[in-house]
Amino acid sequence: MIFLRRQLPLVITFVMGVVFAAQYYVPHPRSELMLTEVTKWLQIIGIFALVLGVTSLFHIHAVKIRRKEPGWGYSLVLYAGIFGTIAAGFSYSSTASQWVNGKETINGIMTAFGWIYLNMMVPLQGSMFALLAFFIASAAYRSFRARSREAALLLIAAVIVMMGRVPLGEMLLPASGDVTQWILNVLNASVRRAILIGISLGAVALSLKIIFGIERAYLGGGKE
Amino acid sequence: MNFAERMLHIDRRIIFLVIGVCTLLPLLYPVGLAIKVSPEVRGVHDYIEALPEGSVFLLSMDYDPASKPELYPQAVALLRQAFRKNLRVIGMTLWLPGTGLADQVMTQVAREMGKVSGKDYVFLGWSPGSGSLIINMGQDLYKAFPTDYYGQPTRELAVLKGTQTLRDVNYVVSLAAGTSGIETWYVYGKDKYKFELGGGCTGVIAPGLYPLLRSGQINGLIGGLRGAAEYEVLIGQKERAVAGMDAQSATHFAIIVLVILCNVFYLLIRTSRKQGEAR
Amino acid sequence: MTILWAKADYDAQDVRYQILIGEGTEKKMVAEFPANSHYVRDVKWPWWTRPDRPEAHQFNLKSGKGLEFKNGTPYAVTVAVVKGAERVEALPAQAIPEPNWVNWNQMNNLLLVLLFGAVVLGSIQTAKQRDIFLRRIPGLDAVDEAIGRATELGKPILYLTGAGDMSEPSTIAAAVILGRVAKRVAAYETDLLVPHRDPIVMAVCQEITKQSYLEAGKPDVFKEDSNFFITTDQFSYTAAVDGIMLRRKPAANFFMGSYFAEALLLTETGASTGAIQIAGTDSDHQLPFFVTTCDYTLIGEELYAASAYLSREPIQVGTLRGQDVGKGFILGVLALGTILATVGVLFRTDWPRIMLDLFKDLK
Repeated sequence: MIFLRRQLPLVITFVMGVVFAAQYYVPHPRSELMLTEVTKWLQIIGIFALVLGVTSLFHIHAVKIRRKEPGWGYSLVLYAGIFGTIAAGFSYSSTASQWVNGKETINGIMTAFGWIYLNMMVPLQGSMFALLAFFIASAAYRSFRARSREAALLLIAAVIVMMGRVPLGEMLLPASGDVTQWILNVLNASVRRAILIGISLGAVALSLKIIFGIERAYLGGGKE
Repeated sequence: MNFAERMLHIDRRIIFLVIGVCTLLPLLYPVGLAIKVSPEVRGVHDYIEALPEGSVFLLSMDYDPASKPELYPQAVALLRQAFRKNLRVIGMTLWLPGTGLADQVMTQVAREMGKVSGKDYVFLGWSPGSGSLIINMGQDLYKAFPTDYYGQPTRELAVLKGTQTLRDVNYVVSLAAGTSGIETWYVYGKDKYKFELGGGCTGVIAPGLYPLLRSGQINGLIGGLRGAAEYEVLIGQKERAVAGMDAQSATHFAIIVLVILCNVFYLLIRTSRKQGEAR
Repeated sequence: MTILWAKADYDAQDVRYQILIGEGTEKKMVAEFPANSHYVRDVKWPWWTRPDRPEAHQFNLKSGKGLEFKNGTPYAVTVAVVKGAERVEALPAQAIPEPNWVNWNQMNNLLLVLLFGAVVLGSIQTAKQRDIFLRRIPGLDAVDEAIGRATELGKPILYLTGAGDMSEPSTIAAAVILGRVAKRVAAYETDLLVPHRDPIVMAVCQEITKQSYLEAGKPDVFKEDSNFFITTDQFSYTAAVDGIMLRRKPAANFFMGSYFAEALLLTETGASTGAIQIAGTDSDHQLPFFVTTCDYTLIGEELYAASAYLSREPIQVGTLRGQDVGKGFILGVLALGTILATVGVLFRTDWPRIMLDLFKDLK
């Protein structure tokens, strides 16, 4: 059992990691064919991850309903939502005279699935994202204070960029547009580049550790 | 608690109300301020404008409904320009929740421009994998998407004639709300298959993509609602994004005023505390 | 297919070269350009793969867009010169395409990856043999303070591990810091709430938390459901966690890992409940929001450094040192490269390319 849980995944990771790291440097058609085949496997495995996520969701909320834990009514709503949407996605559209098959529209006619998507999912997700605008304002009011010289400099830059990114700001202070461009293209780009280099080195180091079996946190469990 | 202290601890809901009013009023009573076009947005526009008729343009709409307000106007503007130039348009998405929106925008703009699915454009839909999908498309587009979103075999579509892989695509633009998006298209696509790549994105991730722009990895960047508005000005069809800029102007100024006020109150409190200590 | 021919005295703007493929009546022109262009020095190939002298002409033909090269099939290639009404064709040359086993253009990339890998593995070995100095991360004092505050107030602690899965370095770092937080929480017997977006991360964190309670000598206080799965959807998760914050009112909120648009929604709601908030993320686009709304923020690699500092595991510490060496090397290359590139432009000389090409096109 230990071999299946520990040794075998490490061996697979090592072999596949080395082979496909080398594949990047091998332009031969056979190498490209191997890459294409394996990427298809990745797509299939991706779907399994979706199944795993949905199964976990069902299980956790089923336990909540069974034990009548606080908020179990919302778990029922979740079940109703999931099954209702799945049913709508697999239903038959009499107006379009064909199975919906997960499509939002068929020949320009909106399906029940499309109605759920456009009238529930789109406004709900949009509303959550729109909250950010209000939260940014309240966070800015609470924390954008010139407590030190650096904070004051940051504040001035923030005001200039906020003005430079809107037509009213460029109209009142024409230089703000050009200064904003300079801040974005020079200051911002150079600092982001430095952060990206650091993060990329971290990602390469982690990948090497995973390939060589040094990092095993992804296998789950604590120390051996 | 004196006035300055009370103002510093003002109820958040008053701030929310101010922002709400600043967003709503300009949308109801638009002003129409002039918009200056930036070089990064012009980069995408000019490249598409220079493409000869019949060139293959791939638009990957990698966003979900949450990012619709910023990226939907970008998609509309890009598609209008592409259809006007009689380019062969391939639409797709790397984000499953965005499939419906992507289908809606392609169908709507194509109908408006009198274009026919299968002949002038194709919507491939979504397929799992992100990076793996791009690699598959780079090897064989027909194997990656055997059918389009509507079930038509892709090999039989006139619009895809001569487009075997991503190497045959003249220009790819990814409209991204996060990962997977522009960086995924670069790492798994442009780096290997050498097509030209442009990007559009939400305002919050735009600054992080400037290194890619400065190094030439993408040839243009349409950032947020402002970028969409600039693009609408360039194509001469001012709509949602331009209308939204008035609201954005008002909201930015509201935040600037609030920040200035909070600093004034903060300085007043700090000064009075220092004076109190000095006594 | 790479076509090479010597520079000629008559190369000028008004003279044109034509590239032709095929023989006899099947000959077709595939390219035409001014004679004073398309030199070897203009092509973006590194010096070790340059096929000829920089002043020779080079033209690359690729398969696709009307031209299909098949391996093993001979092709006849000719170059013609056109000046006004005059046209001269060279003798055709035969070429047979063959697939390459090695992309020599990318050898600098491979060399530097192997070098970096050796540095990281060497640093890990060094870390196993002796103590490597790591400066104290200021944010860690804030972690202890936050746990103490929550215990005094008798309120729970909320810990989030972010949006990533276990293959991301930030999620691994978040899990390590959770171990440390869980150990302190176990000692003080404070409630710990860890809602998750990924079932695999939840399983890993459950084990880590259980282990921490065991090491703290309080296995009986451990609650199985302290780590619980909510949903993978971004805003549904955010709404659920916001609800937990408003109902349970934790005294301390930890936001460790990678985050996207939900960052501000989480932290602003947490701030409204009066909790002390500590964040650590490598998501640079969310850093401004964390910095403004949290009491302390671990920025980018401080998160990785914090997990190394806390665990003191040779693997973590060695990796951090290897990354620091890599960064130092890149800094040195940037400085030297800038000087060499400037020298090359000022003195119109080509020798700085020897070093500059080594670091070109690194991915």
